[in-house]
Amino acid sequence: MALLSKEASLALVQQVHRLIGMKNGVAPHDAPRPRPQRNAPRPGAERFDVIVVGAGPAGSAAALVAARAGLKVLLLERGEYPGAKNVSGAAFYGSAILHDLIPNWWEQAPVERYLTRRVLAFMTAETSVAIDFRTTRFAEPPYNGFSILRPKFDRWFADQAVAAGAFLLNAAVVDEVLWEDDQVVGVRVRRDEGDLRADVVIACDGANSFLAKNAGLQREFHAHEMSLGVKEVLALDEAIIRERFHLHDNDGLAIEYIGAITEEVSGGGFLYTNRDSLSLGVIGQISSLAEHKRRPYELLETFKRHPAVAPLVRGGRVREYSAHIIPEAGWNMLPKLYTGGMLVAGDAAALCFVAGLYLEGINYAIQSGIAAGETAVAAHQERDFSARSLARYVERLRARHVITDFANYRHAPALVNSPRLQNLYPEIIAAGAEQVFRVNGGPKRKLLPIALEALRRAQVSPVHVLQDALQAGRSFGW
Amino acid sequence: MRIAVCLKQVPDPATVEVDPLTAALDTRRMLYIAGPADTAALELALRLAGPTGQVSALCVGPPAADAVLRMALAVGATEVRRLWVPPFLSLQAPAQTALLLAAGLQRATIPDLVLCGARSSDQGSGQAPALLAEFLDWPVVCDVTQIAMEGDRVRVQRRLDRGAREELEVRLPAVLAVEANLARLRHASLPGLMRAERASVPVSHLEDLGLEPADLAFPTASVRAVTPPRPRTRPIFTPDSTRPAHERITQIITAGVTRKSGKVLEGPPAQMADAVVEFLRERGFV
Repeated sequence: MALLSKEASLALVQQVHRLIGMKNGVAPHDAPRPRPQRNAPRPGAERFDVIVVGAGPAGSAAALVAARAGLKVLLLERGEYPGAKNVSGAAFYGSAILHDLIPNWWEQAPVERYLTRRVLAFMTAETSVAIDFRTTRFAEPPYNGFSILRPKFDRWFADQAVAAGAFLLNAAVVDEVLWEDDQVVGVRVRRDEGDLRADVVIACDGANSFLAKNAGLQREFHAHEMSLGVKEVLALDEAIIRERFHLHDNDGLAIEYIGAITEEVSGGGFLYTNRDSLSLGVIGQISSLAEHKRRPYELLETFKRHPAVAPLVRGGRVREYSAHIIPEAGWNMLPKLYTGGMLVAGDAAALCFVAGLYLEGINYAIQSGIAAGETAVAAHQERDFSARSLARYVERLRARHVITDFANYRHAPALVNSPRLQNLYPEIIAAGAEQVFRVNGGPKRKLLPIALEALRRAQVSPVHVLQDALQAGRSFGW
Repeated sequence: MRIAVCLKQVPDPATVEVDPLTAALDTRRMLYIAGPADTAALELALRLAGPTGQVSALCVGPPAADAVLRMALAVGATEVRRLWVPPFLSLQAPAQTALLLAAGLQRATIPDLVLCGARSSDQGSGQAPALLAEFLDWPVVCDVTQIAMEGDRVRVQRRLDRGAREELEVRLPAVLAVEANLARLRHASLPGLMRAERASVPVSHLEDLGLEPADLAFPTASVRAVTPPRPRTRPIFTPDSTRPAHERITQIITAGVTRKSGKVLEGPPAQMADAVVEFLRERGFV
């Protein structure tokens, strides 16, 4: 179950701190690592066409595509069931993508609410200024996004792969990939006689992928490239949720918060409405958490006490509490996506799109899973599993706009995590808005002087503002 | 040697969620496993049977209980069977389970020994093994903490109250209900796990067992209503009425908490020894 006590999450944080080394919050990743020993599978290991490691959205999508093409597919999951190890509440903005794979999937899948309202809120300690987007066009099939509870959703999605003919094996932890002549030919499961052979291994084992590193495709990460998310699911009556968030029947909303809610730590907050619960949490850059010696759950408490958030969560009872690592650096973290006999997809390939305006991952996971599945199918048709054949995975990712999105927004993560954007600009926006709306008998001032004065008071040089504006333009504008 | 093991599917305690609003159990995410006493019984059966022996596992339960039997197959059970009743019958009493198990055992080759968990981790009445022995007309030993085979007899140790143990010798066939801490189930090998995943679990229904619905008509408790548990009452401190008023007030203010105070004795050794003895006698230690 994806449930962590506060003690457990504290232990996780400490472990993360230890892993990354507190020295400047930077991992000693540049030191050359000894190449792990490469083992070959033992004789008599069972053979599959494709082995997918990890039954999350990427893994189930890959297994589904490969199984539909008639391949002998094994889907390995370390939990007791797919989704058991997952952090529960999530927003899923890939409805149309999944619709292509499973038509009208929302009619059978366990979804919570379709998201018709998106809010981006800039916060200071007392103030919040929000952009509130709402459209009924997102309330029509195939919809735009849904709030989902991952343990239910992942289980359903894996069942679709099983229905297509994939063989799902739970409680199977993969310890290493197996090699023959620089070609991945299988995996070793942590059980007696645990060797398995496959022509193609697809690693979908999540953020900080053990498999990608084991195969030498991914480097160790910098602490500033990873974020730690802590999340709570709060139970709240369905009627109260509808009233409180101004929703119709199954409408839902997603709020993203930028600014003071994470105090001096780089990060943000989010809140999604489920059917009869709220998912909310904060995300903090690990290096920044370490630098300021803050515990993520303290930030979560601060977040919940914020005057703009407290009335939204009032009366909610904690049903779950959990923590998870999120790869944040986008383009700069992408591993080598393939090698002979192996592909990497989903969070394992760091395909998590965190760029202020966007906080997406499941859609890219499914896209890359489909691309990996299709690549495996094509490789089987040609009986060629070399790196050269599997390289077409990258073309498929490009055709699905995955690679291109990450390339276009490659400057965004650094900008979003910069201290000025994290705290200063939200403060200036809030202070400016206050000036505009406050009536105290003084003269009404126009916007430009207010903005300039706010900047002056914050002691920001116009050069920096120009730099940031350019950077923002480069990140989001063109 | 042929050994049969009776397994019961119980909720995995790690997946039991209590709804904070209604205090009801949230069954939607509950996973079912075999309880610790049952897995101990299964492990013992595998050890006693050895590589050439036959271990069959039985479970009374709905289709979801197949998972428990697959687990048994994965670790090395040679045969499994699930027993189930039509939906209009609700199984409440341990006697119903025991009757189904007895019928299931009698339909197949009679085993030399039946092992059960001493009590399930959900209801935990511990009645099923004894009732099963009654229906089979076999000897039964409950709360077993040790087993040693001696030909057609088995030497067992049984747990009694207050740490006492009883040694017994039983002639086979017999039913033994073993304690949870007796053995820890082995890990399944990967081929074992895959074989079990692919196996189909045979099911016996009432007619296969030669039973009628009326046979299961034991008097049972029926659930009329479920109410959330009442919050625990907190005892309110009452001061000692024999003490003077100001002391009683002090007791109330301090909520009965008195600080531990020590007493330092001084004087010649003999006098101090007398004081210690007197202190102990006052409190009834000597």
